[in-house]
Amino acid sequence: MSKYDYVPEPALVKGNHDFASLTRLVTDINLRPTPKGWYLAMIGANSLLAILGIAVGYLIWEGTGVWGLNNPVGWGWAIINFVWWVGIGHAGTLISAVLFLFRQDWRTAINRFAEAMTIFAVMCAGVFPAIHVGRIWVIYWVFPVPNQMDMWPNFNSPLLWDVFAVSTYFTVSFLFWYVGLVPDLATIRDRATDKIRKYAYGIFSLGWTGSNRHWWNYEKAYMILAGLATPLVLSVHTIVSFDFAVSLIPGWHTTIFPPYFVAGAIFSGFAMVLTLMIVARKIYGMKDIMTDDHMEKMNIVIMVTGSMVGFAYMMEFFVAWYSGVEYEKAIFLLRATGPYAWAYWAMMTCNVLSPQFFWFKKLRRSVVFTFFISIVVNIGMWFERMVITVTSLANDYLPSSWDYYSPTIWDVLTYVGTFGLFFTMFLLFLRFLPMIALAEVKMVIPQADPHNYDENQDYKAPKVEIPTPKAVEA
Amino acid sequence: MSEVKQNTYWKSLNELAKNQEYQKFVDREFPENATELSDGFSRRGFLAIMGSAVLLASCDFARRPVQKILPYSKQPEDIVPGIPLFYASSIPFQGSLTGLVVENHEGRPTKVEGNEMHPASHGGTSIFHQASVLGMYDPDRSKKVLRKGTDSTVNDFVDFAKKHFADTNKRIAFISEASSSPTLLGLKAQALNKFNNADWVTYEPFGESNALEGTERAFGQRVRAHFDFSKANVFVSLDDDVLNGTHPNSVEYGKQLSAARKVTSNADSMNRIYAVENGYTLTGSYADHRLRLKASEIDAFAHALAAALSSRVSGLSAFSGYSNQFSDHKWIATLADDLIANRGESVVSVGNNHSANAHAVVAAINKALGNDGSTVNYLEVPHLDEESTSAFNSTVDKMNNGEYDTVVMLGTNPVFSAQNRNFKNALSNVEEVIHLSDYVDETSKKASWHINSAFYLESWGDGHSYGGVRSVIQPQIQPLYNGLSNIEVMNIIVNGAMTPGYDLVQSTWKNIYGSNFESRWATLLHDGVDTNSGFTKANVRLSGSFSPDTSKDNAISGMEITVRADSTLHDGRFANIAWLQELPDPMTKITWDNVAAMSPATAAELDVENEDVVEITSNGQTIKIAAWIQPGHADNSISLTVGYGREGIGRVANRYIDYTTGGVDTYPLMGSELSAEATVSKTGDTYEIACVQDHHSLEGRDMYRMATLEEYKSNPDYASFESVHTYPVPGMKEAAEKGEDVPISLFDEQTYPDSEPQWGMAIDLNSCFGCGVCVIACQSENNIPVIGKKEVNRGREMHWIRTDRYYVGEDADAPMTAHQPVPCMHCEAAPCEQVCPVAATTHSPDGMNQMTYNRCIGTRYCANNCPYKVRRFNFFNFPKEFLTTGAEPDIIQMAMNPEVTVRFRGVMEKCTYCVQRVNRAKIEAKKETGSPKPAEGAVKTACQQACPADAIYFGDLTNENSEVAKMKRNERNYQMLEELNTRPRTSYMAKLRNPNPALA
Amino acid sequence: MSAPAKKKIEDQPKLHGILGEFRNPKALYDIAALTVKSGYSKFDTYSPFPIHGMDKAMNLKKSKLGWIVIIHGLIGFTGAISMMYYMSVMDYPMNISGKPFFNAPAWVPITFELTVLLSAFGAVFGMFFLNGLPKLNNPLFNVDRFKKATDDGFFICIEAEDSLFETEKVKELFKEAGATHIEEVYD
Repeated sequence: MSKYDYVPEPALVKGNHDFASLTRLVTDINLRPTPKGWYLAMIGANSLLAILGIAVGYLIWEGTGVWGLNNPVGWGWAIINFVWWVGIGHAGTLISAVLFLFRQDWRTAINRFAEAMTIFAVMCAGVFPAIHVGRIWVIYWVFPVPNQMDMWPNFNSPLLWDVFAVSTYFTVSFLFWYVGLVPDLATIRDRATDKIRKYAYGIFSLGWTGSNRHWWNYEKAYMILAGLATPLVLSVHTIVSFDFAVSLIPGWHTTIFPPYFVAGAIFSGFAMVLTLMIVARKIYGMKDIMTDDHMEKMNIVIMVTGSMVGFAYMMEFFVAWYSGVEYEKAIFLLRATGPYAWAYWAMMTCNVLSPQFFWFKKLRRSVVFTFFISIVVNIGMWFERMVITVTSLANDYLPSSWDYYSPTIWDVLTYVGTFGLFFTMFLLFLRFLPMIALAEVKMVIPQADPHNYDENQDYKAPKVEIPTPKAVEA
Repeated sequence: MSEVKQNTYWKSLNELAKNQEYQKFVDREFPENATELSDGFSRRGFLAIMGSAVLLASCDFARRPVQKILPYSKQPEDIVPGIPLFYASSIPFQGSLTGLVVENHEGRPTKVEGNEMHPASHGGTSIFHQASVLGMYDPDRSKKVLRKGTDSTVNDFVDFAKKHFADTNKRIAFISEASSSPTLLGLKAQALNKFNNADWVTYEPFGESNALEGTERAFGQRVRAHFDFSKANVFVSLDDDVLNGTHPNSVEYGKQLSAARKVTSNADSMNRIYAVENGYTLTGSYADHRLRLKASEIDAFAHALAAALSSRVSGLSAFSGYSNQFSDHKWIATLADDLIANRGESVVSVGNNHSANAHAVVAAINKALGNDGSTVNYLEVPHLDEESTSAFNSTVDKMNNGEYDTVVMLGTNPVFSAQNRNFKNALSNVEEVIHLSDYVDETSKKASWHINSAFYLESWGDGHSYGGVRSVIQPQIQPLYNGLSNIEVMNIIVNGAMTPGYDLVQSTWKNIYGSNFESRWATLLHDGVDTNSGFTKANVRLSGSFSPDTSKDNAISGMEITVRADSTLHDGRFANIAWLQELPDPMTKITWDNVAAMSPATAAELDVENEDVVEITSNGQTIKIAAWIQPGHADNSISLTVGYGREGIGRVANRYIDYTTGGVDTYPLMGSELSAEATVSKTGDTYEIACVQDHHSLEGRDMYRMATLEEYKSNPDYASFESVHTYPVPGMKEAAEKGEDVPISLFDEQTYPDSEPQWGMAIDLNSCFGCGVCVIACQSENNIPVIGKKEVNRGREMHWIRTDRYYVGEDADAPMTAHQPVPCMHCEAAPCEQVCPVAATTHSPDGMNQMTYNRCIGTRYCANNCPYKVRRFNFFNFPKEFLTTGAEPDIIQMAMNPEVTVRFRGVMEKCTYCVQRVNRAKIEAKKETGSPKPAEGAVKTACQQACPADAIYFGDLTNENSEVAKMKRNERNYQMLEELNTRPRTSYMAKLRNPNPALA
Repeated sequence: MSAPAKKKIEDQPKLHGILGEFRNPKALYDIAALTVKSGYSKFDTYSPFPIHGMDKAMNLKKSKLGWIVIIHGLIGFTGAISMMYYMSVMDYPMNISGKPFFNAPAWVPITFELTVLLSAFGAVFGMFFLNGLPKLNNPLFNVDRFKKATDDGFFICIEAEDSLFETEKVKELFKEAGATHIEEVYD
C-alpha cells in the first residue's frame, strides 16, 4: 500500500436516509408531545433566569456598589462576562457564514444549532453593558436619539462602537438565522396537524412553497448574507477588543488585541457549540447528522485557534519586553507572578495546554474527552477575560492607587443568572424550532443532486474512485 | 413674643404647606446674624411679623427665642442670594486662636479659610480648622441642657446657679480646657476672689504642662517657647511634631518651615531639618535626616547633645564631662557641629508630652546656642499659669477626699481623657458637677448639670494666638441648639445672670482698648486680629541651680508604648466629625481606626502582620488593638493614638462591634509619662483596617522625583524626563524638527491659542508635608460625601484630591517618605474624555477637563482610562446616606456649599479646579474689566488656599507673571507620566532634600 | 379528483393551474426543461430544497437582489458618515481630548457596521420582496398533496394564465414526462 492514503470525504449523513426520513428525524421533535425531561430542564433554566432577575433588580435598586468594583478597578465581572458571551456568540455566524463561503458542506449539520447559540449568547452578552452602568435608566443616551439635553453620543468612544457593533451583529445574525429557518418552518407547517401549530408555523414561514423561483433569490440572498456576516463576525470582536486596545492602560493598550480576541472568540465559540451539540445529539438521537466527523473537524478548529491564542499570549510578553515601556513590562510580570497569578495560570492551562491534546486523532474523536475539553476551554476563556480586564486596572501606572478586586455574591449570581437566560432560550429553540437546517441537509445528500440519476431518472449512488498515485511506482 | 418672632422666618406662602422639618430647615437657613439690625424693631421686621401671622398655627415653637430678623420675602441690603459673604473670626484650639475668614451663604457658614492678616494663619489652616464647619452642623451635638440626665433649660440652670453659688464658701473646683480668652480670664479672677474655697485648674490631655515645667526648671519661669523658623537654618526636632495639626501652632510653623525650604533657582538655599523620634511623624517625614529612637531614649539623647555642646558653648556647664550611650553616636557630633555652625539661627525642640526635664535641657541648649530672642522667643503666657499636670492631679486627689462639693468643667472631657487618674470615680465624690460640652460625652454622663456649649462659629469669644496676638471670635450664626459659651456659663456662675457673650466680650475689650473703642472695635471685627498685641517676651537666663535629671537615661529596656494625640481626632474631641474620621492618617493612610504602629522588626519579633490584633498591657491596664507595620518606626516601641473607641457620643464616633468600626480606646494605657513599659502579645484575632493605600513603594517609577540640593546645583534640570530616563519624551525629537513643543500627534489637536485665561496648577513637592488639609478643604468646598469605613475598605474613597505617600530609599527599616498630593491633572489630551460614550466629560476652552454630572451614565470607562486614577464614582447614593441620616438631616445639609451640586448615585466625579470659584472670579473680572481674565491671585482653589505650606500654585497660564506660570517655567517643574502625552495642566515641582554630608 | 369536483358544483372556482408531481429532483429537472421547451413561461417548480442547475432548466434570469443590496449598503455608508458629521461637527461640536471634531479614524467602525446592517436588511427584505413573500394564502395550499413539497415531493405547476395553457395538453405533457400524480389547482 502506498504511503499516500487517499481518504475519501466521509458521507455527511450517516445511515441510509431519504428525504422523508430526514424530515421525520428532524421535525418529529417539534411535533411530538413535549417530553417530561424538557419540562424538568425548563424548570431548572427558569429558576436560574429568576436569579438573574433578582440579581439585576437588586442591582438597579441598590446601585453598582453591590458589585465588587472599586476605585482602580471600574470594570469587573460584568465586562468579563460580556466579552466572554460575545466570544461564544462567534461560532454560530462563523460556522454558517465562513464555512458556507468555503463550501464546507459539513456545516449544514450544525449551523442552525450554532446560529441559535450565537443569538442567545449575544442576548446574554447584551445584558451586561446595559446593566453595568451607574444610571441604567438613561442607558438610551448611548444611542443617537434626541434627548432633553440636545446632546449626541461621543463617536470617539470605543464603547459606542461596541453599541453599534453588537447590535448590528445581533440583528444580522438573527436575520441570517431566520432566513435559514423559513423553509424548515414551512416543512413543520405542512406536517403539523393541530390548529395552533398550523397557524404559528404558517405565519412565520411566510407562505413558503419551495418554489424554485424563490429558491433562486433565496440562495442569492443567503450567499450575500454570508458574505456580509463574515467580515461582520471578525469586526465585532475586533471592536470589542478596541474597548481595551484603544485605552492607554498597560496590558490593554496593544495592537495585537483584535486578531487575538477574534481567535479567542472562535476558540470558545466552537467549544460551546461542541458542549451543546454533544448533549443534544445524544438526547435527540442526531448521531446520523451530527457525526463524529463533525466533532473531529471542530476539534481541529479548536486546536488551531487555541494555538493562535497561545501564540498571542507569548507575543504579548515579547511586545511588552520589546516596547521597553516599563509599565507594560511590569503589568505582564504582575500577571504571571502578581496577586492574580492564579487566574493567569488557570488561563494558560485551559487555553494553551488543553487544546494541544487534539493533536491525537483518538482524543479528537473521543466524545467524552471532547466534551470535557470543550468545557475546560470555556472556563479558560473566562479567565482570559478576567486576566485582561482586572489585572491591568488593578495595577496600572500609580502604585498608590493599586488595589485588589474581588467579586461579591451579586457578581456571581448575575453571571449564573445569564445561563438561565441562555438555556431557557435554547430549550425553547430545541422544542419549537428545527434544530437542524433540514433543507440544507437534504441538499447535501447525494439523492439531491440530479447528476446522481441515470437517464431513466433512477438514483444510482455516486461511487468514490481511489486513484493510486503514480508517485510511488517501484 | 417669641412665637411671633418665630414666624419672621417665613419665606413665601408656598412654604405654608411645608412640614415642620422643612420649617426648621428654613429657620436655620436664615439666622439672625445674616441681617442683624442694630436698632430695635424695624418697620420691615414689623411688617414681616404682621404678614406672617398666618403661620402661627402651622409651625413649632421648639426653637430658641429669636431676636431681630428680616423675612426673606424682603431683600436685606447686604445679602444677595447666591453671593457669599466673608466675615473674620478665629478658631480656638488648645487655648490658642487661629485667625479665620468664614464664608457665609445666606447667613450660614459653609467654609473657613485662614486669615491672611493673622500671624498664626497667614491664610493657612489645619485639618481641624477646615473640619470645624462640619463639627458645628453635626446633628449629634448636644441640643439641650440636662439636669441629672433629664431635659432642662438654660433658665433652670440660671435659677440653680443663683441659688447654688450664692454661698461664696462653696468648695468649688473649676476645670477648664486651655483657653487664652481675656474675658474668661477676667471671669476666672472674679470667680476666684468671689469664692473663697475655689480652685482653678486647666486640663489638656496633651497640653503644655511639661514644657512649662521644663522652662521653669531651666529659667525659673513658666514661659512658652515660640519658635521663629523663618530665621532658622537648622531645626532639630526631638520628637516634636510641629507640623501636625495636633500642635496648636502647626499652621504658623508649617508656613515658616516650608517658606525656609522654598527654592526657585539653584542659587537658593534651604533650611535643614533633623528629626529624632520613635513613631513616623509628619515632621519626621519632612526632615532631611531622621533618626528613629525609642521615645524613652529622647532624654538621654538630649543630654548627650547638651554634653557634646557643653565644651563649645557656655551655659551648659551642667553637662560638661557627662556621657551616656549616645555620646559617641554619629548624630550627636554632627548635630553639635551643625548647631554650633548656626548659632542663633537654629532651633532645638522637644515634643510637648516629653518630660519636663527634656524640655529644660532643650531650653538650656537653645539659650546656650544664643537662639533665644532670634529663633526662639520665650513668652510669658498668663493664661497658662494653671495648666499643670500636678495641679490637676492634686485637684483630683482633693475630689477623691471629698474636699469639693461642686466641680465646674468648661469644655474638657476628663472622664474619657484622664482615665489614668480615674477621674470618673473622683467625680462620684462631688455632689454638683457642672459640665459644658459640645456632646453628651463621657463626662457629661457623670455630671449633674450638662450644658450644651455653643460652637465657636455660634458665639462671641476672644483670645490670643500661640504667639500672643489678640483677636476676637465673631459668631457667624445664632447657636443652632441654644448652646452657651464658656464665658456665658462662667458669667452665670459668678454673676448669677445670663448675659450675652457679645456684651461680655465687648466689656473686656473696652478695658483693653479704653479710648476710641468703637472705631478700634470695628477695625478689630473687620480685620479679625489686633496686630499690635502679643505676649511679653521673657528675659530668661539659665538658673544657676539648673541640673539635668539624668536618672532616666537608661531607656525602657523592653517593649515601650507611647500614647499620643491622634493626627485626625486629636484627643477625641473631633471624633464625631466624619470628614476627619475618613481623612487618611497622614502617615499610615488609615481611616476610621487607630492602630498599634510598630516597626517591621518588632512586628516580626511579635510574629504579627497588619490587622493582627495584639494585646497590650501597661500600668496594669490591658487593651486589644490591631497591629500595623510602620516602616521607619523605632524598634521595640509601639505608637498608639487616642480618641477612638467611643460609646454614646454620636453616630460617627461610636464604635460598632457589628461592623467593627470606631477603633479602640487607648486612654487606659496613657500613663503619667509619654513612654511606658508594656507587654505585648498576639491574640490570633484580626481586625479589619480601612487603609486607602495598599502599595507603598514607587516601584522605581518616576512619578515622584527627588534630588539633594547639591545634586540640584550641579544638575539643575534633574527633574526633567530626559535626565530621569536618559532619553527624551517619545515623539519630542520629531516634534522638535517640526518646531513644535508637544510630542507629534496623528491629529491636529483642538487648541485655544487666543482663549484667555488658561488654567493650570503646579504642586511644589518640596513644600508639601502631607498634612492632608487640602483633602478636607476640598471636601468642604465641593460637598464630597463621607462613605464610611466599609466602603473605604472596598476602595471607594471619594476624595477629589488625595495625598499619596510612598516610602523611598534603600533602608527598609528607615525609609524616607514622599508625600504627593494628586488632584485631577486636567490633561489637555485627556484620556478620560475620548472614551465616554455619551460625552459626559469634555474640555473647556479655558483648559479644564469638565465633568457633566447630569449627562453621565456611569460606565466608569473614564476612570479606567485615567492613568492618574483621580476619578471617583458614586457606587451608591453616598450623598443621600451622608446627608439624610438622623432625626434632623437638614442640619448637616446646611454644611453643604450651595455653589456645588451634590452628585447622584451612579455618576462619576472628580476635581474641578474649583470651577465655581474660577467662574465667580471670571464674572467679577468681566464686570470690572470687561475681560473674563481675572487678576493674578483673584482665584484660589480650596486646596491651594488651605495649604499651610503654600505648596499649591494655581492660576492663569496666559499671564506670564502669574506665580503658577513662573513655577511652570522653573526647571524643577515636571509632568507626571509625561511620556503618555496626556499634557497634564497640573504639574509638580520636584522634591529637594538638604542632607548633611557628614551623615551621608 | 373528488375534492375539486365538489368545488365545481358549489361555486364555479377559478382554475389556477395544473400541478404535476414527479419522483425525484432529476425528474423535476427534466420536466422543467421540457416545459420551457414547450414554450410555457408562467410555471414554477417546487422542491424541498434548491435543485442544482434548476435555474438553467427553468431558464431563470439573474437575480436583481445584488443591486438592492448595493443600494442599501451605500445608504448605510453615507447615512453613517453624514449622521456622525451632523452630530459631532455641525450640531453640537465638543472638544473631546483635544481631538478634531471630524475625527475620521474613530468613525470607521460605526460606518462599517451601519453599512453591513443596511446591506443585510437589503438582502433579507429584498429577497422576500422579490419572492412576493409573505404570502399566506396560495392556491397550491388547497391541494393536500402539495404539503409534500416541503418534505420529499417534487412538483411543477403550469398556471392557467399562461397564453398556451390548455388543461388537457398540460396534463398530457406531465403524463408523458412520467408524473406520478396530476391535479387541477383551483383558487
